[in-house]
Amino acid sequence: MTGRSPLDTLKATGVPVREAVPEDAVAGVLPSWVAAPGGVGEVAEIMRAASSLGLAVVPSGGRTKAAWGRPPERCDLVVDTRAMDRVLEHEAGDLVVRVQAGVTLDGLAAALAVHGQELALDRPLDGATVGGTLATATAGPRALRYGTARDLLIGITVVLADGTVATSGGKVVKNVAGYDLGKLFTGSYGTLGVIAEAAFRLHPMAAERACVTSAHPVSEDLGPLLRRVTAAQEEVSAVEIDWPDPREPYTLTCLVEGVGAQSRASAVRELLGTRASVGGEPPGEWARLPGETFVLEARVRQDDLYDAMLAVAGTVRVTGVEAAVRGWAAPVSVLRIALRTDDGPAAGDAAGAAFVTALRDMVEPGGRVVVVTAPEEIARRVDRFGHIGALPLMKRVKERFDPDRSLSPGRFVGGI
Amino acid sequence: MPGDTLTLLADRLRGPLGDQWVITDPVRLRTYECDGLTYHRATPGLVVLPETAEQVSAVVRACAEAGVPFVARGAGTGLSGGALPRTDGVLIVMSRMRRILSIDLPNRRAVVEPGVTNLAVTEAVRADGYYYAPDPSSQQVCSIGGNVAENSGGAHCLKYGFTVNHILALEIVSPDGDIMQLDALDPGYDLLGAFIGSEGTLGVATKITVRLTRAPEVVTTVLAAFPGVAAGGKAVSAIIGSGIVPAAIEMMDALAIEAAEAAVACRYPEGAGAVLIVELDGPAAEVAGHFEQVERICREEGAFEIRVADDPAERAAIWKGRKSAFAAVGRISPAYIVQDGVVPRTALPGVLARIAELSAEHGIRVANVFHAGDGNLHPLVLFDDAEPGAGERAEHVSGMILDLCIEHGGSITGEHGVGVDKARYMPKMFTEDDLDTMQLVRCAFDPKGLSNPGKVFPTPRLCGEVPGVRKGVHPLVESGKAEQF
Amino acid sequence: MTPSEPPHGIDAELIKDCVHCGFCLPTCPTYVLWGEEMDSPRGRIHLMGQHVEGAPLSDAMAGHFDACLGCMACVTACPSGVQYDKLIEQTRAVVEREHPRPPGERAMRALVFALFPHPRRLRALRLPLRLGAPVARRLLPRLRALHPSLAAMVELAPPVPAHRTRLPPRVRAVGPRRATVGLLTGCVQGEFFPGVNAATARVLALEGCEVVIPRRQGCCGALSLHSGREEEAVRFARATVAAFERAGVGTVVVNAAGCGSTMKDYATVLAGDEAWARRAAELRTVDVAEFLAELGPRARRHPLRLDVAYHDACHLAHAQRVRAQPRELLGAIPELRVKEIAEPDICCGSAGTYNLFQPEAAAELGERKATHVLAAQADLLVSANPGCTMQITAALRRTGRKELPIAHTIQVLDASLRALPVSALTGGASL
Repeated sequence: MTGRSPLDTLKATGVPVREAVPEDAVAGVLPSWVAAPGGVGEVAEIMRAASSLGLAVVPSGGRTKAAWGRPPERCDLVVDTRAMDRVLEHEAGDLVVRVQAGVTLDGLAAALAVHGQELALDRPLDGATVGGTLATATAGPRALRYGTARDLLIGITVVLADGTVATSGGKVVKNVAGYDLGKLFTGSYGTLGVIAEAAFRLHPMAAERACVTSAHPVSEDLGPLLRRVTAAQEEVSAVEIDWPDPREPYTLTCLVEGVGAQSRASAVRELLGTRASVGGEPPGEWARLPGETFVLEARVRQDDLYDAMLAVAGTVRVTGVEAAVRGWAAPVSVLRIALRTDDGPAAGDAAGAAFVTALRDMVEPGGRVVVVTAPEEIARRVDRFGHIGALPLMKRVKERFDPDRSLSPGRFVGGI
Repeated sequence: MPGDTLTLLADRLRGPLGDQWVITDPVRLRTYECDGLTYHRATPGLVVLPETAEQVSAVVRACAEAGVPFVARGAGTGLSGGALPRTDGVLIVMSRMRRILSIDLPNRRAVVEPGVTNLAVTEAVRADGYYYAPDPSSQQVCSIGGNVAENSGGAHCLKYGFTVNHILALEIVSPDGDIMQLDALDPGYDLLGAFIGSEGTLGVATKITVRLTRAPEVVTTVLAAFPGVAAGGKAVSAIIGSGIVPAAIEMMDALAIEAAEAAVACRYPEGAGAVLIVELDGPAAEVAGHFEQVERICREEGAFEIRVADDPAERAAIWKGRKSAFAAVGRISPAYIVQDGVVPRTALPGVLARIAELSAEHGIRVANVFHAGDGNLHPLVLFDDAEPGAGERAEHVSGMILDLCIEHGGSITGEHGVGVDKARYMPKMFTEDDLDTMQLVRCAFDPKGLSNPGKVFPTPRLCGEVPGVRKGVHPLVESGKAEQF
Repeated sequence: MTPSEPPHGIDAELIKDCVHCGFCLPTCPTYVLWGEEMDSPRGRIHLMGQHVEGAPLSDAMAGHFDACLGCMACVTACPSGVQYDKLIEQTRAVVEREHPRPPGERAMRALVFALFPHPRRLRALRLPLRLGAPVARRLLPRLRALHPSLAAMVELAPPVPAHRTRLPPRVRAVGPRRATVGLLTGCVQGEFFPGVNAATARVLALEGCEVVIPRRQGCCGALSLHSGREEEAVRFARATVAAFERAGVGTVVVNAAGCGSTMKDYATVLAGDEAWARRAAELRTVDVAEFLAELGPRARRHPLRLDVAYHDACHLAHAQRVRAQPRELLGAIPELRVKEIAEPDICCGSAGTYNLFQPEAAAELGERKATHVLAAQADLLVSANPGCTMQITAALRRTGRKELPIAHTIQVLDASLRALPVSALTGGASL
């Protein structure tokens, strides 16, 4: 028996495959090879080949979030979706678009803007792909009005570990036929399969946009302000909290979209007090991640946002860790907390870990604190995800979809 | 013997549930033989009416231990036979779990039991200026639990989305009988999203946290009468094309209007070949702007009468005909099939024309009531059940309409669910691999396949048989492209 | 008679009208209470279907039919136009005929039907009730355990007026005459709430109607009809038609909802005999609120500074579809505000003889209604049916939270027309 090398076997699929370079690392783990399929068929081919070789596969898109999640236990092959960058179908009259997973959100936005339409998702990072955005379920302030990626996704095509191609949903918005695999794959961190294609419902681009901005001292309770603004019949699309330094005042930005946005924004300003001002487009930093290397996410109910902010401020005071915060109000309200632990590695690591633990103690059980990304030395010291009610069920789902644990093994909750 | 098993089960459950709420009398059992779709009937082996999650858990656990299938049922208004009982199983009727447990306006959420009716949620918060957005036509009857199972939509989901977009957390009883929490706050897989719309095949919801929506400042409902559906359909496209997302766009054709008139005397404009109901809601400034455009578009597309309603009573008058349309068809036809299919909005005119042809070819009248804004058709296929062969012809036409939907890249169900009725169409819309993959979810939740078996999927494999990783020689190996180590 | 329409059976064609949509469920009082399919209209129709197909009328089945209040809220809610009213009447007749009742239940039914439809017997009972009521109420808890139905009767009995009001056979119109109408005095209304009849006659006269009140009028037959006692109902119906024919009026004004709905259906009740059916069809029955709204106001309305909660009697709202008119009449009184009661479609549990035969369910429904009534925070409850008035009064008493004065729509109008003070309605005195 003349054994072909795994690389040869992978290459035999006809899919471009190359040796990995250090830049291909996933959360610090270097793969052996990188495949760049051009479509769902090729993803299936490469997955079948990988499966036959018993390789561990990690899907990858724009690499903007490659450091997120736990490091994979094994990582032989990265399936890079960036060559899958076509908009497959866009019937403007249907307000629906179907794309390959490697299309970037920025590219998609430009293509849709020509038709006066948009995919109503915020873009926290430049260069993120549709696939990566879905896999990590990244959201932004406009979740208040439009929901998150899972709410806008209407169809998905995935490739399982064994190369099985499965589609659920379709290209019509209203559709309840079969299970919604799209929901399951959104936020699954590449542990169930490779997202190859996705279809979304679109929105017409707002005729007008206006922002109301106001600064508030930390001592000012955000709760009543938020209640007023989110209950306002002016229909605020998003409320962002920008708080670059938890020792300083925070800035609230309310986005109003649609006909009469300017006058509606003026009405919203009345709710916020005299310090508020009305402007046009949202600020440049809108929805951006407040940092890159060490980011936490506190997920709480809207009315608990202020308490979560106080918890952050308190933790900053106690631990001495510098933080920058950006967040938003929504049914699941989020504070993204970027930490800087630069006063010496060992002490810094301990302080960072202490920060996570202290913050979680204060936010749970009403809310959750998740370590989105962290230097490995810190992450090792803490529970990245905290308590999850249905973890046993999640493990059973993983076992069914990927019984050999060959897809992003260990990257997600509970070591899934 | 299944009979003995059920008798033992009934005896076991009388303790935890109370004698009164374990039903074994055959005459009583038979009243549960069908839901809103009477075409499929099966008398349940046993009916239980639990009042708490713990009781549901006790029932499900007992079923799991005895290997007895169970089916959860809400108000029994489903139109796909999703709550069709099993003669060898237990029907868990949720109608006694109907308390609104808490209302939390600052967080715009409410926690309710599954038997609470959809409309009751809205009524509980209406005075405070909130409502529960998904509004299926049966909203005064149907239960939130049923809505969760079916991922119900309604007229207003064009703008506001479906049940799945309005549920923040669920307490479920898993098919093993465990009580579990699925919460949108939790990191991890979106099991909440997977559970909603799974038609009772992944377990039983026992507590539901719904999102409340702020009542809009202004609601304007426009009723536009057109000479025919073609003109109405063009108006729909033009409205959406102009960048407006109305809260709802509904269309009824002449036959549907006739039925509604007969039932509720809705007094739609005389001589209308189609009526369009366009509801705009939101901030006053926006609604006013959109209204002008909608009115202009309707006139341009040939509307010969336009009525506008701004207050609740007038709006209710306009909606009355639409909301009663399904049941109202009983007034103009001895029997009928309510179909539910979806096509991309832009395919509407062609599909409607083809439905008219099918109707003529087969001598079967078809009344059309639909959520035009999202291409969700509800053709009502009318027939006389006393006439030999009419039922089969109607069934045939109804099936061809679904084929038409699939052909146009649509769906075999927009909101009624697959249930038992459409399971056989699933292979037309999905490949075997698609269905097998969905089945993986089922097996994760319910490896024994006891939770509402026989629904959604045509002849599902047993979980042991589902190919996890392909067995046998892989095609690539076979073709020499790859080699197995 | 065609074979498909058995003379005394359940009409299978009517059953087929039900498409099983379930829209009736939330309006059905027993479904609201128990959440069981077989205690909903849809379930009962299903049971009727089973019986038509040959299933024997078991105790279980009969129990579910008996539990129906006959409030007809489901008829209002049904989009398919199912004639549940006809179906349940047919079914009750079948139950009465085919279903042997236990002796105790039989005795109670006999007592009720020997008493209520007979004004003179009721009158004879007034004195013992007046004297005995306080004693009986003290015994209530024990009675409830021994005989719930009898307990219900005692509890429901209203304070009996000391003096009977005897209405003249004819009341002249005030001012130019606009119409001549007959007035049905009714059994329970006439004996327990004579003030309502007096007020009706006065208001009609003040609005320009000549009111004819035949002396020899008996029960309209409503209670019998709603309990499946068909032959008795036919007898009463014929007598009532004859009484008004003799009085020479073409229109009969009725102020008790249950009576009105039955009389409007006389043509069907008497359908067995063509001649009687024709005679019945020639007599027009109209509810007093319906009639006055149609006639239009002429007399001056004097202000009444009052918040009133209007209770929809099922036999008015559902059976006769009279909902707007009473609200209009009340709303037109200066300074009076009409408040709505939550769950207006759900029956208070009175439902003719229901509170006597199904006391537990009726009590539960009564308390539910009482809670909603109190939540409306009104000064006065307005109810247009004597049965509802007794039922809600009893329930309010049980909740023990508050005594709320109750009046009939026409009494409120009467007070306004006669410029009476508010205290005439709320003073606590029996009206």
